[in-house]
Amino acid sequence: MLLTTSVGSLPKPEYLMTARSQARKGSLDPKQLRALEEQATREWITTQEQLGIDIIVDGEQYRGDMVAYFAEHLAGFQQSELVRSYGNRYYRKPIIVGKVGRPRPVTVDWWRFAQALTTRPVKGMLTGPYTIMDWSFNEFYPSRRAATLAIAKVVREEAKALEQAGAQYIQVDEPAISTRPEEMDLAIEALGIVTRGLRAKTITHICYGDFETIGPKLHRLPVDQIDLEFANRDFELLSFFKGRRFPKEVGLGIVDVHTHQIESVEDAANGLRKALKVFKPDQIYVDPDCGLKTRTPEEAIGKLRVVVEATQAVRAELANGRRSGLRTPSAARTAA
Amino acid sequence: MITTLIGNYPKIAEGAYGTRLIGTISRWQRQEITDEELEQVYQDITRAILQEQEQAGIDLLTDGQIRWEDIVTPIARRLDGFEVNGLTRWFNNNVYYRRPILHRAPVRQGPILVQEYQFARSCTTRPVKAVLPGPYTVMAVSEDRYYKNPRRFVRRMAEILNEEARDLAAAGAPVIQFDDPAIGFGWPGGRHSSKAKTTDMKLALEGLQIATRGVKTKTAVVTYFGALNGRLSQLLNAPVDIIGVDVVSSPTTLAALKKLRRIPKALALGCLDARNTKLESVKDLRAVFRIASKLVPPDHLYVNPNCGLEFLPHRQALAKVQRLAEAARAFKES
Ligand SMILES: [Zn+2]
Repeated sequence: MLLTTSVGSLPKPEYLMTARSQARKGSLDPKQLRALEEQATREWITTQEQLGIDIIVDGEQYRGDMVAYFAEHLAGFQQSELVRSYGNRYYRKPIIVGKVGRPRPVTVDWWRFAQALTTRPVKGMLTGPYTIMDWSFNEFYPSRRAATLAIAKVVREEAKALEQAGAQYIQVDEPAISTRPEEMDLAIEALGIVTRGLRAKTITHICYGDFETIGPKLHRLPVDQIDLEFANRDFELLSFFKGRRFPKEVGLGIVDVHTHQIESVEDAANGLRKALKVFKPDQIYVDPDCGLKTRTPEEAIGKLRVVVEATQAVRAELANGRRSGLRTPSAARTAA
Repeated sequence: MITTLIGNYPKIAEGAYGTRLIGTISRWQRQEITDEELEQVYQDITRAILQEQEQAGIDLLTDGQIRWEDIVTPIARRLDGFEVNGLTRWFNNNVYYRRPILHRAPVRQGPILVQEYQFARSCTTRPVKAVLPGPYTVMAVSEDRYYKNPRRFVRRMAEILNEEARDLAAAGAPVIQFDDPAIGFGWPGGRHSSKAKTTDMKLALEGLQIATRGVKTKTAVVTYFGALNGRLSQLLNAPVDIIGVDVVSSPTTLAALKKLRRIPKALALGCLDARNTKLESVKDLRAVFRIASKLVPPDHLYVNPNCGLEFLPHRQALAKVQRLAEAARAFKES
């Protein structure tokens, strides 16, 4: 009950940041980089275990951008020159130049590596087909729809391979899902291709949402669990779910990932208590709002600790409440 | 037929004028270089961009808006009354801008773009147009905590943009273009409309009426990012000389154009996709030109990408510029 987890990315330690920039310049060979990525992954798994997180992530120490990472490993994509994202920030946007394919597994090796380090379940982490399409240029497929569905088949193969390797949880993120309301049905259809028939628990994380648009269709997303940011909106989002029976599990973000400040355990626990008035305890998974990669490692650890301690406090209350619940007069009457 | 670009252009070009703007801005932000040093780099890149357009054979040039992060914040930052705030998605693109918040009645403290315009004009012998945001779009992408009334906000912004437009006309701009993507895309719209994106066409046109009043040069409105969905005929009544229509973002817009007869205005045909790297063929472009040429005489037909080219990497942006000029030449010769 109230299992704790993370959304996906965790910050890269200083030594890995340095190594990545050296590798880009060619002054560090890929093998050395790989060794440091493994070291950072190992450290994050130990940290999560020590903190008491139930469902572990590998922290994506070997990934840069969540779309570019897949584009680099799949067939059919090319990297573009730099384009601006906002302000003075630029990135290389993938271009679909041929038939999208999966010549070899993308994330399975890393998942195996991470799972071998712990007895707790490690989540498989994928980027969804609609987001990969929306964040790429398309020179090959005749339409956005055709591109999305082609990518969906390939992401599906990867999800299947993760399941075969033993992943019990597979998360497929679609941050772009609410960008074009008129394409939301396409995004849902594509996600359905990825998750159809999987026995693993499927999750999708959604952020930056135009909630007015996406809210009414949330229950149609073909996954078992929807992970949302609650803390940075002061848990206002709960009012959307109030009074309806939401048929899926909910990943509940209880700490903001955009602030340096570490929330108090009490504030985070209060958020969780509010959520328990709307959702059933076994419906809720507890985590930070979003990936923690933009925080420092210290801040990320601080925030994860708050997630665990707040959850433990509330779990204890629920356990006590249940026991005392049996002693209430009404319960006694029912028993009689 | 006149070839032109909408406004913005890649600020960096790995294969041409380089990527030094990124480092220059970072150093300027850390106060390691002076305003003058930053300005020098802005000017060098602006000159290079104007040259690229000239060499490609574009008729009516733009300065590429190298100093601009988007079409609204450069104006909002230099008016009194706005605070430029957190990152927000720029319409339906995976690109973000800082949303302006209006706290007080906006006040223009002097010309905003005139100096930049004069510099661009001095770099070339070809005509350079001046670009401003449409008042309706300023309202749509900002948060109004002062008027709490879209109409009053649009009208006041229109007055301010009108002062700027008059100054730009006096500085010699042959065309002053108002970018109004919110007309095509719709205004996701404040607290009132929680459902469909709507466009208040009446208000958008009222804003343009005020913004263009007494401006002694050609004026244009360009719409992009969306389908006009029945608003095309209203748009054609906009109180400007040139009407810009994006026929790429939605196939319905070209279908609507096909149904029209002659238009009493000039048409700016947004016919290359500035949001995708795939290069249009000369043949496809000529087919679209043919449709538009039935609506307006050749000297009233502008052809251009559907929106600014900055969404593209430089290489593909330049290829589109060259293809536009090539297709226009082929069309004129045929
Ligand atoms: Zn997120």
